[in-house]
Amino acid sequence: MAAASGSDCGRRRPESNDAGSKWLDAHYDPVANIHTFSSCLALADLHGDGEFKLVVGDFGPGGQQPRLKVLKGPTVLTESPLPALPAAAATFLMEQHEPRTPALALASGPCVYVYKNLRPYFKFSLPPLPPNPLEQDVWNQAKEDRIDPLTLKEMLEDIREKAEVPLSVQSLKFLQLELSEMEAFVNQHKSKPIKRQTVITTMTTVKKNLADEDAISCLVLGTESKELLVLDPEAFTVLSKMSLPSVPVFLEVSGQFDVEFRLAAACRNGTVYILRRDSKHPKYCIELSAQPVGLVRVHKILVVGTTQDSLQGFTHKGKKLWTVPMPAAILTMSLLEQRSRGLHAVMVGLANGEVRIYHDKALLNVIRAPDAVTSLCFGRYGREDNTLIMTTRGGSLIIKILKRTAVFAEWGGEAGPPPAQSTKLNMPRKTRLYVDQTLREREAGTAMHRAFQTDLYLLRLRAARAYVQALESSLNPVSASAREPLKLHAVVQGLGPTFKLTLHLQNTSTARPIVGLLVCFLYNEGLYALPCAFFKVPLLVPGLNYPLETFVESLSDKGSSDVIKVLVLREGQSAPLLSAHINMPASEGLAAA
Amino acid sequence: MGLLDRLSGLLGLKKKEVHVLCLGLDNSGKTTIINKLKPTNAQSQDIVPTIGFSIEKFKSSSLSFTVFDMSGQGRYRNLWEHYYKEGQAIIFVIDSSDRLRMVVAKEELDTLLNHPDIKHRRIPILFFANKMDLRDAVTSVKVSQLLCLENIKDKPWHICASDAIRGEGLQEGVDWLQDQIQAVKT
Repeated sequence: MAAASGSDCGRRRPESNDAGSKWLDAHYDPVANIHTFSSCLALADLHGDGEFKLVVGDFGPGGQQPRLKVLKGPTVLTESPLPALPAAAATFLMEQHEPRTPALALASGPCVYVYKNLRPYFKFSLPPLPPNPLEQDVWNQAKEDRIDPLTLKEMLEDIREKAEVPLSVQSLKFLQLELSEMEAFVNQHKSKPIKRQTVITTMTTVKKNLADEDAISCLVLGTESKELLVLDPEAFTVLSKMSLPSVPVFLEVSGQFDVEFRLAAACRNGTVYILRRDSKHPKYCIELSAQPVGLVRVHKILVVGTTQDSLQGFTHKGKKLWTVPMPAAILTMSLLEQRSRGLHAVMVGLANGEVRIYHDKALLNVIRAPDAVTSLCFGRYGREDNTLIMTTRGGSLIIKILKRTAVFAEWGGEAGPPPAQSTKLNMPRKTRLYVDQTLREREAGTAMHRAFQTDLYLLRLRAARAYVQALESSLNPVSASAREPLKLHAVVQGLGPTFKLTLHLQNTSTARPIVGLLVCFLYNEGLYALPCAFFKVPLLVPGLNYPLETFVESLSDKGSSDVIKVLVLREGQSAPLLSAHINMPASEGLAAA
Repeated sequence: MGLLDRLSGLLGLKKKEVHVLCLGLDNSGKTTIINKLKPTNAQSQDIVPTIGFSIEKFKSSSLSFTVFDMSGQGRYRNLWEHYYKEGQAIIFVIDSSDRLRMVVAKEELDTLLNHPDIKHRRIPILFFANKMDLRDAVTSVKVSQLLCLENIKDKPWHICASDAIRGEGLQEGVDWLQDQIQAVKT
């Protein structure tokens, strides 16, 4: 029965309301004072006692010192200050020895702090970068007191503007100083060698040589100097170094370092680069239309969240599979892995306080949080396997537990392509002619295109010539001349043998009336008879439409018809201003008789 | 045979047998409680997580209990409902120090109470608010509040604060259970 009710709520709208929710509200602390992002959350059994703890690299808002917090259940177990803002937290197994308690790695500034059993164990610092020789030179001069602080400042500013190698932290600090503080700063620092240090932007882990759950893992670091480093888990030496065209901000690795691995790095230039073992440079690259805000790997699909409020799925070769629009800006993303049911889904924290769970394109569940969620983490916490940990912008901590009976069912509606897309069309068989034509087109494509272009130009030329001729001989029903801008439009009414011919004449000028126009009909006198084939047009007021009516009698008893030409003339000129050809209809009255 | 049975029953030589289910989340102390209720010479020294379930027997002053000690691990919890029919009483064990998973215990209890095999039966339920020795344990009153026990109207229930390692509070609970079972029988 329990299982039945679970699948029932699966079919309802995936809203997280109280009755049909898949989640149990285990804990909510609005004043937990935890400010962090998903990359700085990690879950691990740090003491090896079966109780999984939560590791939080807390930014410490508003000038407070950044802290490393370890939570057990709803309470903070330990808290220790950090020297710089944390960039990422990860837990990993360092060695094969028993007891197999995972180590905690926290990337902060240029260093990775490794803790075992929650005690500091090792500090890895990134190798320093070569300093700018010009900068070195300038400081050497300052050391020998050959230049005063003002000159030093000018020279450093000059280097900052021009040089490709950025300045060291020491020089940048110096440039920020007021005039009065410079002297002291120079005296204090001039004897120190210049060091240029980069910082860690992101960190993740990759299994070393076994795919097991409890296999040892290597740390993978992304740095501000556009490099990726893989560290040895025991000796903390750099095993591999890869360079990227931009600064990596999110990393996802699959596979094993010693065997084969794929590394996806979302970078600040709005591109995701995919690297493989033995490639020092990116193998594939995915150019996004906007900046990435999250990167999650679900099996072989890379899911990228962008600043254009959309989730995009890519294959590991960079082929785009799908795009799902989001109702609000994406703040954070994380993987939901429900081992008992083999479900892998992506959780997305939105600016409107929703957390949406997607399996590929399909929306599985929506959780409404009281505030915008800035970090998400799903996994085993305490003794519960399926626990979701969320922290919000306001610093609150929310812990939810997935019900044992909950089943995520795909909610129909917006998911998937329309069914018509997958129905197969009944295509006719390829005929011999078709194949021959295709072959010919493939071989002589250029020549065919040229022939087509030539004909097209000829056609255009002829059309243009005909148009010019029509203009010159005033054969068209619209006169655009400056003195007599006129428009003529003729209508034939009736079935015959008597037709009514109405000419609509309009003066299209803005202000000038036109006088002294004549209308003349040219027709075959054997076929038609008009009461008046030639008459004067009254004064034409600009803008008004003058209907001029005349009757046409068809004389033919054979039902034949002809063209009547209407000419509009100016008094005293033989060349017409306008002309119109009226195709007269066959007289049906006679034919019927 | 029937006569002999009744005679021995009257004399109190042969005790009445009752089937009891022992339920609760993993690591709440079910096996430890059952172990402590067994005679001293039959107790085992180290308790390991139960896989599936195990059947244990112990005697109180007037009843002979057969306990189905069910595993509390998430993946075995769907076994529980298959034994609801046979159970004449339920012992539900709660880890009072696991504040976070109190909601899970409540969820499992609600599922249990709404099961068709349990819902319409007046089956006694004994709650053990276990692990009272731990520093961050909450009181039995708080546990009953968190589990909304006051909403159970149609079944006799009782909550005992207990410390299964030292055996405190266990006898009180078993005595209550014995009284209830005998009240139902007669």
